[in-house]
Amino acid sequence: MKLVKQLAVTACAAAMFATAAHADSIKVGSAGGVTGPIAELVATIVKGRDLARDQINAEGGLLKGDTLEMVIGDSACDPKAAVDAVGKLVNVEQVVGIVGPSCSGATNASVQAVTIPAGVAVLSDSATAPSVTELKDNDTVFRVAPSDAYQGLAIATLVNKAGIKKVAMTYSNDDYNAGIAKVFEEEFKKMGGEVTANQAHEPNKASYRSELQTLTQGGPEAIAIFAYYGSSGITIIKNSLENGLFGKFFAADGMFDQSVIDQIGADNLKGNISITQASSDTGDASYQAFAGAFKATGADPAAPYAAHGYDATFMMALAIEKAGAADRAKIKDALRAISDGKGEVVRPGEWAKAKKLIADGKDINYEGASGSADFDANGDVSGVFAVNVVGDDGKWAKELLK
Amino acid sequence: MAEFINFYLIPGLVLGSIYALGAIGITMTFGILRFANFAHGETMTLGVYIAWSLVQLTGFKSMVAILLVLMPVSMMLTIMVVLLIDKAFYRPLRASPVIILVIASFGLMLMIRSVTQFSWGVQLKTILPGIQPRMHLFDFFSFPLKHVFIVGGALLLMYAVHYVLTYTKIGKAMRATSDSPELARLTGINTEKVVMATWVMGAGLACAAGVFLAVDTQVDTMMGFKILLPMFAAAILGGVGKPYGAMAGGLVIGVAEELSSYPWLGDGPLLEPGYKQGIAFAIMIAILVWRPTGLFKGKSF
Amino acid sequence: MDPVLYGYMLYGVSLLTVGGMYAILALGLNVQWGFTGLFNAGIAGFFGIGAYTAAILTTNPHTSHIGGFQMPYVVAAIAAMLVAGVIAFLVGKVCLKLRSDYLAIATIGLAEIFRLIVNNETWATNGPRGISQIPRPFEGLPEPINQFAFLGVVLVTLAGVYWLMEIARKSPWGRVMTAIRDNETSAKAAGKNVETFRMEGFVIGCMIMALAGALMAHYLKFVNPQTTDPLLATFIVFVMLVIGGSANNKGAILGAFLVWTLWSASEIVAPRLLEAIGMTDAGIRSAYVRIFLIGLLLQIFLQKNPQGLLPETRPSSPGKNSS
Repeated sequence: MKLVKQLAVTACAAAMFATAAHADSIKVGSAGGVTGPIAELVATIVKGRDLARDQINAEGGLLKGDTLEMVIGDSACDPKAAVDAVGKLVNVEQVVGIVGPSCSGATNASVQAVTIPAGVAVLSDSATAPSVTELKDNDTVFRVAPSDAYQGLAIATLVNKAGIKKVAMTYSNDDYNAGIAKVFEEEFKKMGGEVTANQAHEPNKASYRSELQTLTQGGPEAIAIFAYYGSSGITIIKNSLENGLFGKFFAADGMFDQSVIDQIGADNLKGNISITQASSDTGDASYQAFAGAFKATGADPAAPYAAHGYDATFMMALAIEKAGAADRAKIKDALRAISDGKGEVVRPGEWAKAKKLIADGKDINYEGASGSADFDANGDVSGVFAVNVVGDDGKWAKELLK
Repeated sequence: MAEFINFYLIPGLVLGSIYALGAIGITMTFGILRFANFAHGETMTLGVYIAWSLVQLTGFKSMVAILLVLMPVSMMLTIMVVLLIDKAFYRPLRASPVIILVIASFGLMLMIRSVTQFSWGVQLKTILPGIQPRMHLFDFFSFPLKHVFIVGGALLLMYAVHYVLTYTKIGKAMRATSDSPELARLTGINTEKVVMATWVMGAGLACAAGVFLAVDTQVDTMMGFKILLPMFAAAILGGVGKPYGAMAGGLVIGVAEELSSYPWLGDGPLLEPGYKQGIAFAIMIAILVWRPTGLFKGKSF
Repeated sequence: MDPVLYGYMLYGVSLLTVGGMYAILALGLNVQWGFTGLFNAGIAGFFGIGAYTAAILTTNPHTSHIGGFQMPYVVAAIAAMLVAGVIAFLVGKVCLKLRSDYLAIATIGLAEIFRLIVNNETWATNGPRGISQIPRPFEGLPEPINQFAFLGVVLVTLAGVYWLMEIARKSPWGRVMTAIRDNETSAKAAGKNVETFRMEGFVIGCMIMALAGALMAHYLKFVNPQTTDPLLATFIVFVMLVIGGSANNKGAILGAFLVWTLWSASEIVAPRLLEAIGMTDAGIRSAYVRIFLIGLLLQIFLQKNPQGLLPETRPSSPGKNSS
């Protein structure tokens, strides 16, 4: 009992102390499933967010030299944990806006239960469920990650263009991959293709050999995989190659990570795998600007949604700057203004330039590392996709999908 | 037929031998310390990360060197960690009711996992990169070479367990304690020693099972937890406290999981693979209901 | 009102709301584990049954899942409890004969199978994508009154469940329950039908858990299979009951509020602790430290205070002195 009391007292003291100590910092929530099923993806996304924060703080910070502080909230990909974590960010940490949370389910619950009523802007960097679009959000929910509807179409187009008529597909039974898979199946059939088999698989199994064997029936020419690389994707490709079941793979961006090549081997994958990924339609300048800086921190710029994490943070900061104050209501309005396709182009890393433009009262238009990041009426971005194949250097090589 | 053996039966045996090794530790803890150890999966993960670190340190690339040299070392290190954990967390609770021990093990599961995630990070790692060559036998059988090592290694370790339990003094004491702790104490068996031996055996085998799994797939911080429930199922199927039962149970569950999606009737899989994970539980519940002593006549309390 | 104070107030409301729902869960578990000695480790399953039933019955029609019945909250909550009760009865028929650890593992297995079903039967549950836009009682009221109103709903429900459980505990029925838990053989010898009593305890406990699930669905306004993740739906409830005091209804409630507050507040404290000891890049790592500290706290509690904060008290039985 004593111990509990002491802990409670320390907790209160620590909370008080913290609000007092960082008077000249502006807090933005950095919510994500840092523990839980996609922890390894989120770790890199958060690094992307932190890179943006570091660059901004190095180039003069926010407003009158205030520091941008990113406060982590662990949504654990679980709606219960997410509502609690986001609630703390909004009510205790008093953040002015939130970047994240990562999983669609966690985002869906926490925006409905916490941020929409509180009027706090949420800019998600990886929630892609179409159901987020349907919410009545008073224009507070935005995302830089394109809805699944776009990516499903992109992969279907890619498979169709490769001249493949019969494809088997398997998806990991989670909110993200199941959504893209559904769109893919509809779109591919519309294009006249045949889906020979479509199977859900439970992630995190030690082996998928028997599933894959079943999927080979009906003579598919390739397999479309909708999975996270960590929880099942790599195992599926490994099992396919080791057992000679499938040789040609198409995948959505949950599969996109350097470790796919590192673990399976570039020679085994070269020419055989294509992974779609949300990308920039304004050439590669924005992406390169981000990638160079991100590589310098020792992280992989191509990791899924790392660029989106960077963009979301940078845009949130731009919105604060544009709003001219750490004011929740003004920030949500400013988010549209900084990325409406009009005004002088600002790219990743150009914080000082953006700051000056805003100070001079000029319009700016952020062109992100992950895409143009222009919001539509729902606060969504339209998807522009690139396809990634294995390059000569054993790294992913990216090519825009038109 | 070849397809059935190569893609359903052999993968099932590989998975089954990994389950079996893990289940031995669970069943012995259940039999001797009387509680379901939820931290067993994390012990496995910890063992894998220790092995991964050794691979990085030594730069070994060949599967044989990793399995013959590094795996025994990591087994030792895992055993040492687990003995320390026992000293700090389980020993003070020896006299407590079962539920307290179960909850303590659940707490330890979280603690070990957070230590692993804190120290090694959550990014995926690999012990054995690349695609392993396939072996062909009589133009009929065909399987990756690593599977021979995994199944062979598991059989070897199971034989070692058999040897220890049958021919050594401590092994006999372990079996006696598992069969009847009161009787064992009366006959003058040193219970603490038996408990130590249980942890040594459980942790060592957990580490080995984890390394085999990592060689077959990849290294991640949730890998042990992901196969915890099938291992429980294997232990129950085999009969609690029965190491041979756990071996058989592990193999049965591994094979049953893989065979469940074979197109037994018509063209489609018998069971949608999404439900594959349910197989282990369904078998487990069926056994609990119809034959609670398990296949090998373990304890029914 | 000062925004900082206002924020702390809202956080307090959310702590009490979620704590209250966990207290209902803990009371449900207390009937099973505390009074009857049934080790139900599949709390998440019955919690999930309640959440999904309430979600399907109260939402607007939607193409992605069945339902859209727009039923009143009370009807949905009762339906959630009935569904859970029927399923618990069937499960109980099969599993209640087992020893406590075995029952634990069997119920974990059943909760996992439930999760697989909601994941795979997409036509009914929208699979992994979950059911969104679940209505919440009083959400039409202005901020923050609606939050207080929902807190009221939770606390009134909690008080009702507590009241019923206290009556049950002090009744002859409750005394038979503890008698069975403590000594099954003598209870049998006294002519009590042990099987029936156990079944009653199990079914009632599961129905209470489903009620908590229904409330949670309205609170989160969203359910998906992750909502029934065992860490925050099964394990933490056991921790609450053990820390609060097993077989003591007040203990169950105290444990729930206390552990939930610690769990939630530790996220605020952990990064500051790391910063204080000079660890930079605390960010993500503090999430791991936090879980480690919770685990450690639990271990300390188990070793130092295994009966919990409020140990069991026996109601005085008429005619003889109970000990």
